[in-house]
Amino acid sequence: MTVDLRKDFVNYAKSLNAASEDKNIRTAISRAVTSYRNTVTETLERFPHTPALAEEVQEIKRQSMANLDNLLETAMASVERNKGKAFYAKDHQAALDIALGIIGKGKTVVKGKSMLGEELHLREYLEDNGNEVWETDLGEFILQLRKERPMHILSPSIHVPREQVAEVFTKFFGKVVPPDIAEEVKVVKEFLREKYFTADVGISGANVVAADTGAMVIIENEGNVRLATGAPPVHIVMVGVEKLVPTFQEAMKVAEVTWRYAQYGVPGYVNIVSGPSKTGDIEKVTTYGAHGPKEFYVIFVDNGRNEMAHEEKFSQALHCLRCGGCMYECPVFQVTAGHFGHTYMGGIGAIWTAFVSGGMEKAAPLVYSCLRCGRCVERCPMSINVPAMIGELRERVIYGKLEG
Amino acid sequence: METKMPMVLDVISENIIKHGSPLALKGSEVSSWAKELDLPAKGDVLFYTGGEYQMLPFIDSLVKTITHLDQGSKVFSMMMGARNILNKTGFSPEKMYASVLAKDKDRYNSVCFKAAKVLKELGYEFCYSGNEELYSGALLYELGYLQDMEDYVKRVVEVIKKSGAKTIVCLSPHAAEVFKFVYPKMVEGFDFEIRTYVDLVWERRDKLAKLQSAESVVIHDSCRLARELGIHQELRDILVSIGADVKEAPMNREWTSCCGGPIKILFPELSHVIGERRVTELKESGSAHILTSCPYCLSALEAGRAKGDSAVVEDLIEFLYRGVKA
Ligand code: SF4
Repeated sequence: MTVDLRKDFVNYAKSLNAASEDKNIRTAISRAVTSYRNTVTETLERFPHTPALAEEVQEIKRQSMANLDNLLETAMASVERNKGKAFYAKDHQAALDIALGIIGKGKTVVKGKSMLGEELHLREYLEDNGNEVWETDLGEFILQLRKERPMHILSPSIHVPREQVAEVFTKFFGKVVPPDIAEEVKVVKEFLREKYFTADVGISGANVVAADTGAMVIIENEGNVRLATGAPPVHIVMVGVEKLVPTFQEAMKVAEVTWRYAQYGVPGYVNIVSGPSKTGDIEKVTTYGAHGPKEFYVIFVDNGRNEMAHEEKFSQALHCLRCGGCMYECPVFQVTAGHFGHTYMGGIGAIWTAFVSGGMEKAAPLVYSCLRCGRCVERCPMSINVPAMIGELRERVIYGKLEG
Repeated sequence: METKMPMVLDVISENIIKHGSPLALKGSEVSSWAKELDLPAKGDVLFYTGGEYQMLPFIDSLVKTITHLDQGSKVFSMMMGARNILNKTGFSPEKMYASVLAKDKDRYNSVCFKAAKVLKELGYEFCYSGNEELYSGALLYELGYLQDMEDYVKRVVEVIKKSGAKTIVCLSPHAAEVFKFVYPKMVEGFDFEIRTYVDLVWERRDKLAKLQSAESVVIHDSCRLARELGIHQELRDILVSIGADVKEAPMNREWTSCCGGPIKILFPELSHVIGERRVTELKESGSAHILTSCPYCLSALEAGRAKGDSAVVEDLIEFLYRGVKA
């Protein structure tokens, strides 16, 4: 059988060209790049121990990925011990089935930002199955209304200026929303506030998971995750298995490095959730669902990650903290944003596309639009050698080894 | 499972394998710059061009032609050399190659001549493989044709061995990169000392002719040179020693911004945009006299210069040669 990729290349080139002419993308990304470089320089000066800590985290990640099966087992046991329910989803469909099994139909769901959610097309799936789902991250909410996909892993709606936000809000809320950022934030806050407290289920991802304690660490600034995971009676965490580390202490190290390079400086909120809400205040009888969720579920998603962990040349890609730094330094991403990607973006995204989200056919054009210039490696706190992996994938594409 | 890739990849890889040049240039064309120099075929130090500067003026027209074909139809079977493809489609290669401006051809062809002259001036002795010199195969490595490369490099090594040299001096950082990091993995006993042109000049920079007046220049660090080979301070040392006023761009050395060149053959428009942006960034240094030390950077930045832009883009070789002549 022959897979003809020529059309894909032509179409992809067209989309890159169109993106590179888009003034909104250009302006937004140049602003973002400058601000990224400034914040990181400034925070690294303030917290000079960070690069050394990042090296430590590389080693933590390396060992965790080499030990993935054990870690998963420990983590699942920890979640159960905490009176949560733990699931393992081998692939994309299994993950969706498990989630839908817990949620059912006719429910209202509030959701925090999660790249895994994008990978699984989680919102669309739950909606198609008769649920009402709200993205609570402001950027994701804007994209939900615009029916678009994220253009950056941390700032998904980076390409949408305030005027366009006002336009889509005015239409959606049925009242005039001026192109004023504070006003725009306010209308969403009012709208979602009601959703948090009437929702049946809150879904979040996690930035790190400590296997020993079953602690899910979620970093955020807006406070939406806090509400989405605290107010509804059910909290589901959906997390990729690559987020596992052995201990709570190590999880804190990973978290600190993540937020520092993800331009949080110091994040507004770090949520640590290990089980359902409980109280023993009356007669020391433990009762679940005190103020927060009564039910707590964790779905560990594999979907190609384990295979990647076993590939010597690619397991390092699982160390990615999703800080987004490499994307800001990528000359292709700087002019095309998320168009250089398929769910996951930039050079590292091309690797993830091949193994986790889309497969080699989808990855091939991305793999060839990488310059292999190597600046991402300079930036990456995990020193992930993306250009080397790109080279390896090119070889696989050329010689027809498309199975990843 | 077999894959059908954009035709330009087939053309380039086939050309390298069959003709020893990504653009199927003839050995006599590639080595014409050396006619008057009478370089020996044997010696301790081999001067290696890989035909890279010489092919620069042809890349754009090949890309244009093939991108056009790629979108048009599927009647072209895979695995045809550039000359073949062009024949079949009614373009003649001669016509395509002839459409390249003579002044561009002359300019890029003479870079090798100038490099040789500068090194001679500094007292270096070296040999050159002339007509027989083969392209390093860097693009096979870059584009994923590693299995083909394993066979190809054997032929390159044969030619290199004929020279009897122990040291290879590369004009292009891409050639230096593959000789240094890829060849040793593919060829047993590939133990040549790999140097770059920049290295050699740096060592004897005191002997370079000084500039008449302190010109201000800005260095575009090539990704390969700065990040893979760790050469960036050397460029500054060389320029300072001849009295140039070296300005720095916001992103430089190991943080240098890529010129966009590597994706030119598949994504020419995007490559162009990236080149333009880099030229703008370089000019933020306060100097519009851009110097680089890589054939692809040279060509990409030259293309990224807006029409009528006052910026000057030169290879370090061209810049230093002016001192030799004076
Ligand atoms: S590859 Fe490195 S720089 Fe890029 S998002 Fe992942 S951790 Fe950050």
